[in-house]
Amino acid sequence: MALFRGSRPKTPRKLDAMRRFLLAIALCLGALTQAQADDLQQILQVHADEVASPSRRSVGVLLDDLVASGLPQVPRFLEEWAGRTVWQGPDGRFFFGQEDGDQITLTDLDSGETRIEGRGGFTQLRPNGGVRRLIGTALVQYQLEDPDISRRESAVAAIARRPAADQLAPLVASIEGEPDDTLRARKTQLATFLSARFADTPQERIAAIDSLAQDTTVEARSVLNQILQTEAGVAASEPDGNIARLLNPMEAPDEYYAQLVEAGFAPAQTGPAVIRAALEAHIRDGTAGGVPLAQLGTDAARERAYAALSKEGLVPPLVTVETRDYALNAYVFYELYDEPNAEITAAAEAALASAEQRVAFAQAADLALDGLSLASIYFLAAIGLAITFGVMGVINMAHGEFIMMGAYTGYVVQLFVPDYTLSIIIALPLAFAVTFGAGVTMERLVIRHLYHRPLETLLATFGISIALQQLAKNIFGTQARPLTSPGWLDGAWVISDVIQISYIRIAIFVLALIFLALILFVLKRTRLGLEVRAVTQNPGMAASMGINPDRINMLTFGLGSGIAGIAGVAIGLYAKVTSEMGADYIVQSFMTVVVGGVGNVWGTLAGASLIGFLQKGIEWLNPSNTLAAQTYMILFIILFIQFRPKGIVALKGRAAAD
Amino acid sequence: MRKSFIAENPSVLWFLAALSLFTLTVVLLSEATGTAMISTSFVKTLGKTLCLCLIAIAMDVVWGYCGILSLGHFAFFGIGGYAIGMWLMYARTETIVLESLQNQVIPPTPQEVSDAIGNQIFGVVGSSEFPLIWAFADSLFLQLLMVVLIPGLLALVFGWLAFRSRVTGVYLSILTQAMTLALSLYLFQNDSGLRGNNGLSGLQNIPGFEETSQATISIVFFLASSVALGAGYVFFAWIVTGKMGSVIKGIRDNEARVRFLGYHVESYKLFVFTVTAVISGIAGALYYPQAGIINPGEIAPIASIYLAVWVAIGGRGRLYGAVIGAAFVSLLSSWFTGGGAPDIDLGVYRIQWTDWWLVLLGVSFVAVTLFFPKGIGGLFDYLVRKPS
Amino acid sequence: MKLKFYSMATAALLGSTAMAAADCADPIKVGVLHSLSGTMAISETTLKDTMLMLIEKQNEKGGVLGCQIESVVVDPASDWPLFAEKARELLTVHEVDVIFGNWTSVSRKSVLPVIEELNGLLFYPVQYEGEESSRNVFYTGAAPNQQAIPAVDYFLEELGVEKFALLGTDYVYPRTTNNILEQYLKDNGIAADDIFVNYTPFGHSDWATIVADVVALGEDGKQVGVISTINGDANIGFYKELAAAGVSADDIPVVAFSVGEEELSGLDTSNLVGHLAAWNYFQSAETDANAEFIAAWKEFAGEDRVTNDPMEAHYIGFNMWVNAVTEAGTTDVDAVRSAMYGQEFPNLTGGTAVMLPNHHLAKPVLIGEITADGQFDIISKTEEVPGDAWTDFLPASKVLTSDWKELGCGMYNTETNTCVQLTSNY
Repeated sequence: MALFRGSRPKTPRKLDAMRRFLLAIALCLGALTQAQADDLQQILQVHADEVASPSRRSVGVLLDDLVASGLPQVPRFLEEWAGRTVWQGPDGRFFFGQEDGDQITLTDLDSGETRIEGRGGFTQLRPNGGVRRLIGTALVQYQLEDPDISRRESAVAAIARRPAADQLAPLVASIEGEPDDTLRARKTQLATFLSARFADTPQERIAAIDSLAQDTTVEARSVLNQILQTEAGVAASEPDGNIARLLNPMEAPDEYYAQLVEAGFAPAQTGPAVIRAALEAHIRDGTAGGVPLAQLGTDAARERAYAALSKEGLVPPLVTVETRDYALNAYVFYELYDEPNAEITAAAEAALASAEQRVAFAQAADLALDGLSLASIYFLAAIGLAITFGVMGVINMAHGEFIMMGAYTGYVVQLFVPDYTLSIIIALPLAFAVTFGAGVTMERLVIRHLYHRPLETLLATFGISIALQQLAKNIFGTQARPLTSPGWLDGAWVISDVIQISYIRIAIFVLALIFLALILFVLKRTRLGLEVRAVTQNPGMAASMGINPDRINMLTFGLGSGIAGIAGVAIGLYAKVTSEMGADYIVQSFMTVVVGGVGNVWGTLAGASLIGFLQKGIEWLNPSNTLAAQTYMILFIILFIQFRPKGIVALKGRAAAD
Repeated sequence: MRKSFIAENPSVLWFLAALSLFTLTVVLLSEATGTAMISTSFVKTLGKTLCLCLIAIAMDVVWGYCGILSLGHFAFFGIGGYAIGMWLMYARTETIVLESLQNQVIPPTPQEVSDAIGNQIFGVVGSSEFPLIWAFADSLFLQLLMVVLIPGLLALVFGWLAFRSRVTGVYLSILTQAMTLALSLYLFQNDSGLRGNNGLSGLQNIPGFEETSQATISIVFFLASSVALGAGYVFFAWIVTGKMGSVIKGIRDNEARVRFLGYHVESYKLFVFTVTAVISGIAGALYYPQAGIINPGEIAPIASIYLAVWVAIGGRGRLYGAVIGAAFVSLLSSWFTGGGAPDIDLGVYRIQWTDWWLVLLGVSFVAVTLFFPKGIGGLFDYLVRKPS
Repeated sequence: MKLKFYSMATAALLGSTAMAAADCADPIKVGVLHSLSGTMAISETTLKDTMLMLIEKQNEKGGVLGCQIESVVVDPASDWPLFAEKARELLTVHEVDVIFGNWTSVSRKSVLPVIEELNGLLFYPVQYEGEESSRNVFYTGAAPNQQAIPAVDYFLEELGVEKFALLGTDYVYPRTTNNILEQYLKDNGIAADDIFVNYTPFGHSDWATIVADVVALGEDGKQVGVISTINGDANIGFYKELAAAGVSADDIPVVAFSVGEEELSGLDTSNLVGHLAAWNYFQSAETDANAEFIAAWKEFAGEDRVTNDPMEAHYIGFNMWVNAVTEAGTTDVDAVRSAMYGQEFPNLTGGTAVMLPNHHLAKPVLIGEITADGQFDIISKTEEVPGDAWTDFLPASKVLTSDWKELGCGMYNTETNTCVQLTSNY
C-alpha cells in the first residue's frame, strides 16, 4: 500500500464520516415526509451554505455526498452549477435558472417543473475556478463514456488537470469503446501518465515511465517530476529511505544553519540586531557588558560587550563562524524521495534526463522561432524606411506615425465591417492607400524642398510626427483601440508543448516575406525600379535621360509610406493600437536600417535578423529583465556602428558616398 | 590684425545687459526679495528656463556652429541632474536618519547608519543596499566633480569612437539618439541603483537649509542659473570666435576641405562635443534642484529632439537665437498646456489648446524649417542690420 | 425638473451669485491635479471628469458650509516635475482648500515635498505600493494588503496555486508589490524556486517568450498561477498572446491588479473569460448606490463610459472630505485632518468605508472574473480590510506603524518607540 502514497492532500476523514452520518439521518427524515423525487434538493439543503458559496477546501464533502447518492439528476446539476445557471431562491431552495431581463425562468432540480418569476430575491451561484475544477473531477465518472463528445472531452480535460489514482481504471476501460480517434489517442496518453504514477505493480509503472522518455510535453515532465518529488531534511546520521541526494552545507552555510536552528539542533545565530537587543536589555549604570554605552558605536565593541554578557551567563554564547561550521559538519543534510521504491525513481530520473535533453533542443528551436518572429516584425516596421531612408536618403521621423495611421485605418474599417476576415482584406489595401496618399502629400509639400538638407528633413518630419500623433489623440482618444484578428488567425501552431508560435506571428512573417519579394521585384525588375535607382544615383543624369525625378521621388516615397501603413495593420493585430505605437518603433526601425546597411533591402533584412535574434538571445540569458535586454542590445548596436559604420551589407564604390 | 573679442561679438554685451536687466526685474518682483508680484512657482519656471537656455546654446555650438546634429545632449543634462541629485538625496536623508537615531540608548554603528539611509532611499523601490555608484554621494565636492566629469568622460569616449570611425551626418544623429535611449532604458530599470522610474525626488529641499523658505531658495537658484547662463554665453562666444571658431565653422561647411588643409578635424569635433556635454551637465545640475525630481523619462530621446527644435526655431548659428528659441518655445508650451491660452469657440467645434498645442507646434516647426531656416534669430538680425 | 435647472444654473454661475454670499467671501476651492495630456491622460482624464461630476452634484445639494464649491483644474501633462510645479501653483496662487489628484506613484512622490512644505491636503485615489504615510495625504486607493495579499490568498486557498509567476512592468508599484508578495508566499510555504519574477518595460508588446516561459513552469506538475502587475497598454499584447497560446483560466489563472473596466474596453475579452482581477470596486456590483452612481456617470460623461475602482475612491474621498469640512466647520487643513479620522461613508459595493488614523481606508476586497462583455463577475468579497501603510511582510517595515491621531507620526518605529521622521519618504 505504501506504493500509493501520492501527493494528494489527506481528506479529513473523520469529518467526512460524520457528515455522511448526518446526511443519512436527513435522508431518512426526508424520505418520511417527502416524495422520493425531491432527493437532490434535500441533499443540497443539508449543505446549503456550501452550495451557495462553495470553497475548494470544503466542497469535497458535498461532492462526495452527491456522487454517493447515485441520483440521476446529479450530473446535470453539477454541469449547470459549474456553468453558473443554478440560482438560489429567497427561501433558500435551489433551481436551474435562465435569466431573461428582469425575469427568470426557474426549473425545479428534481421534478423538472418550470415557472417564471421576477428576478428580485434570487441570487446566481458562482462557484470559483478552484471549485469548478473539483466539480469537473467529480463529473468525470458520468462523462467519460457519454455519447456527447464535448462531455467526454471535458472529462478527459478534468483528468489531465487533476490526475488521481482512482481515475486510472475507468479511463483505461473507456479507451476501448472510444469512437473518436483523437480523443482515443489522448485517453491512451493520459492512461500512460496515470499508470506511471498509480499503476498497481512497480513493473507496470516502470514500463509506463520508460515510455515517457520520448515525450517532451509539459504534462509528461510533470508526471515524472511528481514521481521524483523530494523532501529536504537534516539529521545526525544518514536516514533510511530512498535518498535522492546528500547536500553540502558549505555551499550556503547560513541558510543550512538556519535549517539546523529550525530543527532545534543548534542555537540561533546572533546577528547584529540580536546583539543590539541583548545589550539594550542588559544596561546597568550606563554600561552594557562592562562597556560604556557611548563606546558601543562599533561592531567590535558590541561583540566584546556581548561576550562579557555571555560569560556572565546572561545571554546565550556568541555563534561564531567556527561554531557554525562545526555544527554544520556534525549533521547530514539530505533530500529524500517521496517515492520509496528506488527502481521507480531511478527509471524516472533516467526518463526525465532524456526528456529534458529533448526539451533543451526544443527550447533552442522555440527561441529561434521567437527570434525569427521578432525579426520579421522589426523588418516589417523598417522595410518602408529601407525605401525612404535607405534608397532615397530621406530621414522620415513620421514613419512611425504612418504605421499608426495604418493601424487606425484597420480599426476604423472594423467599425464599419463587422466581419473580421473581410475587414482585414479591406483594411490592408485601404491602409496602403491612406498612407500612400499621406506620404505623397508630405513629399510634395515638405520633403521636396529639403532634398539637399537631410538634417532639416529630420526636424521637419519630426514636426509632422508630433502633429500627427496629437491629431490621432484628438480624433481617437488616448485609449487603446481594439483591432481584432479574424478567427482563423487565433490560436497558435503547436509543434510540441515547447515549440509553438501564434498564427498571427506566422502571418506577419509571411507578410514580411511577401514584401521583401515585392520590393526586390519592384526595384530590380520593373521600369519604376530602374528609374528609382537611376534617380537616387544621379538625378541630373536621370533627368536628362527623360526620367521625371519629381514623379519618381514622389512615387518612391509613397510606396515606402504605403508599406508602413500595411505594417501598421499587422502590428496592430498582434499588439495594440494607440497614438503612441509609432514612436515605439521609430528608433528601432532606424537602427535596423543603419545596422543592416543603407541603400539595400537585403541589408535591412540582415539588420532586422541581427537585432531580433540578438534581443531574444540576451533575453534568454537574463529572462527576468526584458528592459536590460533592450539596453544591452542598443549598446551593442552603438558599438557595432562604431566598428562597421556602413552596416552589415555595405555598398561599395560611388553609390556608398554620403 | 585681429579684432577684439567684444568687437567681433557685439551680441555678448547686449545679451549680458538684457540678462542682467531681466534678472534684476525678477528679483525685485519675487516673493523673497521684492514685491511678490511673481509667485515662487513662476520664479522656479523662469530659473529652469534659464538652464534650458544654457543647454540650448551648447546645442547651438555643437549643431549650429560645428554641424553635428546631436540628438543626445539631454543625456548629459540628465547625468548632471542625477549627479547632484544623489548628493541632495543622500545628505537630506542622512540628516533625517541621524536625527531619528540620536535618541537611541546605544549609539549606532556606521553600518547601521548606512543601512538606515539606504533603506530610506531605496525602500521606495524595494531594496536597501547602496549600489556602488553611490560611493561618493556623501561628499558634495566629489558629486559636483561628477557633474562635470561623467558627462565629459562619456562624451569623450562616445565622441572618440564615433568621430574616429568617421560616423557623420544623419548616422551620427541616430547614434547619439541610440545613446540617450540606451541610457534612459538603463535608468528605467529598478536595478540600475538610481531608483528606476521613480528617479530622485525631493531635490528642492537643500540639505543644511531646511529652515530656509522655498521662496528664498528659488531666487538663489534663479540667480545661479542666470550667472551660469551669462558665463556660458561668454565662454561659447569665445569658443566660436577667432581661429578655432573659424575651423569649427569650416568643419560644418565642408569637413573634407578643412581636413585637407591639415587640421585634425576629429580633435576639434571631439573638443566641441565634450565641452558642450560638460556645460549641458552643469545646466542639468542647476535645473533639477529647481524641478524637484529627476527620472529617466527626462532623458528619453524626445527631449533631445525638442532641444534641436528650440535651436532651429530660435535660429541656428547665433547664440542668442538658441536662447530665444529655448525660452520662447518652452514658456509658450507651458502657457498653452497649462490652460493659460483661452479656448477658441468656432461654433461647431471648440479648440482647446491643451489638445491642439502640439499640432500647432508641429506644423509651425515644419513652417520654420521650410520658410524661415534662420528662425526667430534671423528675424532679429534682419531688424538690427536692416541698413546693410 | 425646475429645481434641478435652477441649481444647475447656480452651479454654472459659481461664486459670483452664491446663495449664502455673506459666508462666502472666501470661496471653497477644490484643486484637480490629473494629467489631461501625455501618457497618463488615458486614465486620469476620467478621474478629472469624476471630480467635476461630484462637485456639480454637491453644489446641487447646496455646496459645503453654505458655499458653492469652485473647481480649479490644472494639467500636469504626465510630466512628473510639472506635478510639483502645478501643486505649488494650486496651493499658493489659487489657494485651494484641498487637492484631488495624481495617478502614478512617481507623480505622488513629486508632489509630496510641496504639499508637506505648504501644509496642503491631497486625496490620492489609486491602488499603490504602500510604504508611505504622509500627514498631508489621504490614500483612498488600496494598499497592498487590500488588493495583492487577498488576491494571493484567493490563489492559494481557492485555486490551489502552488507555483507563481509574478509579471510586472518595471516600476516602483510592481517592484514593491512583488517584493511583498515574494516574502508573503515564502511565509506561506512556497519555495523560492516556485516563484518566477519578470519585469518588462512600459508598453511592452513582444510577449511570446514570456508566455511560453509561464506555460513551461507547469513542468513539475504544480498548479501555476500568474499575478500580473502589468501596467496600461502592455496588457493588450499580453492578453492577446495569452489567448493565442490557448492558456485558459482553468489551466493557468491570471489575476491582474491594474486591469479594470477601462483597460478591458481596448480588448476583445471573449478569449479571456475567467481570468481574474482584484479591486475594491467593480462596475458590476449590485447595490442601489452603485446603480445610481453609474447612471449619474453615464448621464454626465456619455452612455458608453464605464466606471472603475479609482473613481469609487474619489467618490468616497470627496464625500468624506465634504463631511469632515461640515463637521469641522472650516476648510482649515489641520481641522479637516482631525475631523477625517473615523469618517465613515457607504461604499458603492456595500458596507462602509472608514478612514483610519494612518490615512488609509478600511474597504472590502473584491475578486472578479472577466466576462465576455468586458465586465467582471464578482466571485469573492471580503469583509472590510483596514489599509496598512507599512507592510507586515518586509522586515524593515514590519516594525513601522503610522498613527497621525494618537502618535502624530506617519513612520513610527514600534521597537524603539520613536518617530523616524515627520515628513515622508520621497
